[in-house]
Amino acid sequence: MTERAKNEVVKENSRLLRGGIADGLTHVETGAIDEDDTMLLKFHGSYMQDDRDVRAERTKKKLEKAFSFMIRLRLPGGHVTPEQWLKLDDIAGTYANGTLRLTTRATFQYHGVIKSNLKRTMQAINAACIDTIAACGDVNRNVMSASHPFLSKVHKEAEKLAIAFSNHLLPRTGAYHEIWLDDQKVIDTSAATEESEPIYGPLYLPRKFKTVVAVPPDNDVDVFAHCLGYIAIVEKGEVVGYNVTVGGGMGMTHGETDTFPRTADMLGFCTPEQAIDVGEKVVTVQRDWGNRAVRKNARLKYTIERVGIDAFRAEVEKRCGYQLGAPRPFSFTSTGDPIGWRQSLDGKAADKKWHLTLYVENGRVKDTATVKMRTALREIALAGGVDFVVTSNQNLVIANVTAKQKPKIEALLAKHGVVIGTSSGLRRNAMACVALPTCALALAESERFLPGLITDLEDILDSAGLREEDIVIRMTGCPNGCARPYLAEIGFVGRSPGLYNLYLGAAFNGTRLSKLYAQDVNREQILKLLEPVIKRYATERTEGEHFGDFVVRAGIVAATTAGNNFHESVVLAKA
Amino acid sequence: MALPPLPKNAPFSAEDLAFLNQLVQRSTPLQRSWLSGFLAGLDAAQGGAGAVAAVQAVPAQRPRVPLTILYGSESGNAEALAYKAKKTAAKLNCDAKVVDMGDIDVASLAKSKNLAVYVSTWGEGDPPQRAVDFYKELMSDAAPRLDGVKYAVLSLGDTAYVNFCETGKRIDARLAELGATRIHDRIDLDPDFARAASAWTDAMLEKFSPAVEAPSATVVHVDFKSAAIDDEPAEPLYTAEDPAEAEISALVNLNGSGSSRETYHVELAVEADGFTYEPGAAIGVLPENDPALAADLARAVGLDGDASLVAKIARGYDITTLSRATVDAYAKLTGRKDLAKLTDAEALAKFSADRQLVDLLSEYPEKLTAEQLLGLLRPLPGRLYSVASSIKAHPGEAHLLIGAVRWSSHGRKRGGVASTYLADRRKVGDRVRVYVKPNRHYALPADGNRPIIMIGAGTGVAPYRGFIEDRVETGAKGKSWLFFGERNYTNDFLYQLEWQDHLASGALSRIDVAFSRDQPEKIYVQHRLWQQRRDILAWLDDGAHLYVCGDEKGMAKDVDNTLVKILAEPLKGDEDAGRAKLKELTKAGRYQRDVY
Repeated sequence: MTERAKNEVVKENSRLLRGGIADGLTHVETGAIDEDDTMLLKFHGSYMQDDRDVRAERTKKKLEKAFSFMIRLRLPGGHVTPEQWLKLDDIAGTYANGTLRLTTRATFQYHGVIKSNLKRTMQAINAACIDTIAACGDVNRNVMSASHPFLSKVHKEAEKLAIAFSNHLLPRTGAYHEIWLDDQKVIDTSAATEESEPIYGPLYLPRKFKTVVAVPPDNDVDVFAHCLGYIAIVEKGEVVGYNVTVGGGMGMTHGETDTFPRTADMLGFCTPEQAIDVGEKVVTVQRDWGNRAVRKNARLKYTIERVGIDAFRAEVEKRCGYQLGAPRPFSFTSTGDPIGWRQSLDGKAADKKWHLTLYVENGRVKDTATVKMRTALREIALAGGVDFVVTSNQNLVIANVTAKQKPKIEALLAKHGVVIGTSSGLRRNAMACVALPTCALALAESERFLPGLITDLEDILDSAGLREEDIVIRMTGCPNGCARPYLAEIGFVGRSPGLYNLYLGAAFNGTRLSKLYAQDVNREQILKLLEPVIKRYATERTEGEHFGDFVVRAGIVAATTAGNNFHESVVLAKA
Repeated sequence: MALPPLPKNAPFSAEDLAFLNQLVQRSTPLQRSWLSGFLAGLDAAQGGAGAVAAVQAVPAQRPRVPLTILYGSESGNAEALAYKAKKTAAKLNCDAKVVDMGDIDVASLAKSKNLAVYVSTWGEGDPPQRAVDFYKELMSDAAPRLDGVKYAVLSLGDTAYVNFCETGKRIDARLAELGATRIHDRIDLDPDFARAASAWTDAMLEKFSPAVEAPSATVVHVDFKSAAIDDEPAEPLYTAEDPAEAEISALVNLNGSGSSRETYHVELAVEADGFTYEPGAAIGVLPENDPALAADLARAVGLDGDASLVAKIARGYDITTLSRATVDAYAKLTGRKDLAKLTDAEALAKFSADRQLVDLLSEYPEKLTAEQLLGLLRPLPGRLYSVASSIKAHPGEAHLLIGAVRWSSHGRKRGGVASTYLADRRKVGDRVRVYVKPNRHYALPADGNRPIIMIGAGTGVAPYRGFIEDRVETGAKGKSWLFFGERNYTNDFLYQLEWQDHLASGALSRIDVAFSRDQPEKIYVQHRLWQQRRDILAWLDDGAHLYVCGDEKGMAKDVDNTLVKILAEPLKGDEDAGRAKLKELTKAGRYQRDVY
């Protein structure tokens, strides 16, 4: 028998994701669950975490680590109704840390749920007709679709595909209902009554699997950063099919060059009717071909890197029983969200609704002394008559607003100190992961650090006259890359407390990865390094040239043309 | 029936003692009487030559007098005084027996010729818990006539409470009402009772058993029972009057950052000879006041320049309690007319509800001399904490679990004297004065195989840490089950890691927890008890002992009611039957409470 990664054994012995979770919940002396069960719990949408800020004091106080659980919702398409919003908001206040965290994959996360409340929180979420199954784990996770479904008929199609594909790839195990819902099915997420996993098999996938649906010219979903991507090809206002991409992914490990972020390859074109089937076959090939021995090389991107895209395509086509078409032309402009109001793109002028994309710093919906965003959104939800959609940039769309409602919503936001715009183009395009204190993987701060760093950088932008320039800046606390830092024009990845690797040169539209520019730099060094680059950009850029393109053209960093040369031609700047 | 053996401390060699015991065991009462009289006469005939102190102490000049010493005790003070009185009584040739109010019914009182009562008052004028039934019966119409009974009452209390010594006062009056004769005046005592109580006991016994002018008998009665009786509580070596010095070796706030609680684990290293305690005992701490408060108090009466006075009252005087006695004394001292409005009980209660002495002196300011100020103050009482350790596990150490008491009222930040003394004004390495307060009504079962169910909230978990440590050290095999309650799981799970270790080793068999503020509905220990009622009944069937420790109003009362319901359930829900069942357990020593 070949050597297998530990997770594979845990999955095999888990009786389809049950493990010892149910028993672990009954052990009141600890706020934790068994380590093996933490791996399985991810498939149910939850990570066990602990408050790392207080780790040092706990043993002296005769207390175990301050364990709590993060719960992530499965929300394909990112849409919730006002009624759902109110329920989700209640849960945040009742069981979590009083905040709703919008994620980089267009869903909600709760933080700080303690073990004794885990089950009732799951039940409360399900009572809002939302579940958490497969929100994490070695399965097809939350499926994102472009912007929001109310923008146009095409966007609605993208959402439909996202939901259908997510449901198609749901685990069929009864474990979720059994453990969390006492087998009470509020919404039926297990289509089959007989318990087996016809698509995944008992071992599920070798690693997480991420799927998105993009609608050009927006690349807000960062289609090339995901295992599987559908790029909608639109003709005369109708989706005629999808260019399918495979093998994108962000995660890597510091110091190991056989791990790297990778932009996806083009697999081919499929019709709308074929889309789910093609996706399923991509999943099953990865299921069978993926690396189950070395977990850090287990994602689809490494499978494709190993076998080549042609061999992979041939196998998918073989399993489909038909050929994929040649990719159709498309083009992307940007990965960001258009902050502010805009109207639906189609429909009769008189019926056109308004949609407000609200910038949510770090995706954290909360109340502070001066800005009461959580209260404002709650009041908007209470007033009703609108829809809420989480974007793939951790922002929120308040959709389907009538012209009459528009001033009311603006007034409500203003009343609670919520500003619609942002202080700069840099901040508008900023994204940070959660990191400390809850994420177990974090090596450095992210969400708590980036906003202040941007404030410092805004001074430099001001002096260069670039305050309103759209520049994508992203930060993560570890190299796994939840905030997709390697696709940012300015990217930071945490190395140790206070120190980051600085990456430059990704494409503004998400088609090219960045390159390492400086290693282990602190706040001061970051500012010192970036100031001259930003100033050169201000004076030397060509018409419409984005910052990421400029640093490559100017030779400040070499272009990364594919994931496998991400670690090549690195010339480190001296801090 | 076998006679008790001669006390081990009798002045004989072990060999002789064994011989004497043999002889005494098979003797008849007549033989014993003859022998004691003969021996006493022998020494008298020898003209004192060879007589020793012990013999001189034998009271030959008093007739034998029966005496019932009845006590009602909450923390053990009244009980200790009762047993002390018995010892003294023995020297005066009293045939004294000590009876707990919890073990006697009122009807049998009528049979007592002589009755000495030691009773404390609890909370807002209530009798001690174990005395409640006796007290109710005594006050009821069904109480028997007590004509011919001679009695005296010593009453313990705390002037900090409005109904000071209420129980003693009412028992004293009721006994008279029932026809008994007060032979010695009642005394009402504050926490610094030791000296006054001892004097009262001497005087009281003198009335019951007066010395007679002429020697009337040649036979000396020796009360064999007065010494070495098994159920007599051992007197601790270190008392509030004679405390031991301890060094603080650890002082840790156990609550995690962000907790709404502040609970200190305090480890005391006590080098004093013979310092010991049993799990379930209390350790008394002699605190000192916040010097800033002492200075405020002195300033209020114009004495803030007197540094030595400030130091003196900070160390040894109660400068926080605002009692009726203090208000009366202050009114009398100052002659202030405006204080008259506080003499009404209701007005005083309202004024003193969240005020302290410093408020009285600040709101009704007068210049006082140092002597006048000191005259207003009572000595600073010690504060008792249930010991949180076993001395077997930590030789020479006592661990305490102390909740810091803090609040604000009338624009002033205030704190519990003893808790803030340790939390704020002492650090590791500092010394404190401590004493031991045994509590034989709160102790592990003598049989280590007995299961124990321990129920505690907040600092009420303290004795259970000692219980489990003790059982580990003694190798006791009995099962144990802890019910613990606090506010929040993450930050308030006191001694969490230790409970985990004890569960892993099997020293603790089971744990259930109730954290009231982790979820929308409040969950308290009594809810967990109810959920686990079937197993609790099974454990009780196996002979389990039940323990409750913690706040009376906030927890113990609800736990008590829940236990009644649990015991009633198999009895068709008859709560009276459940209550009777719980009383049986109490009488059998299987339901023990340490509540405050």
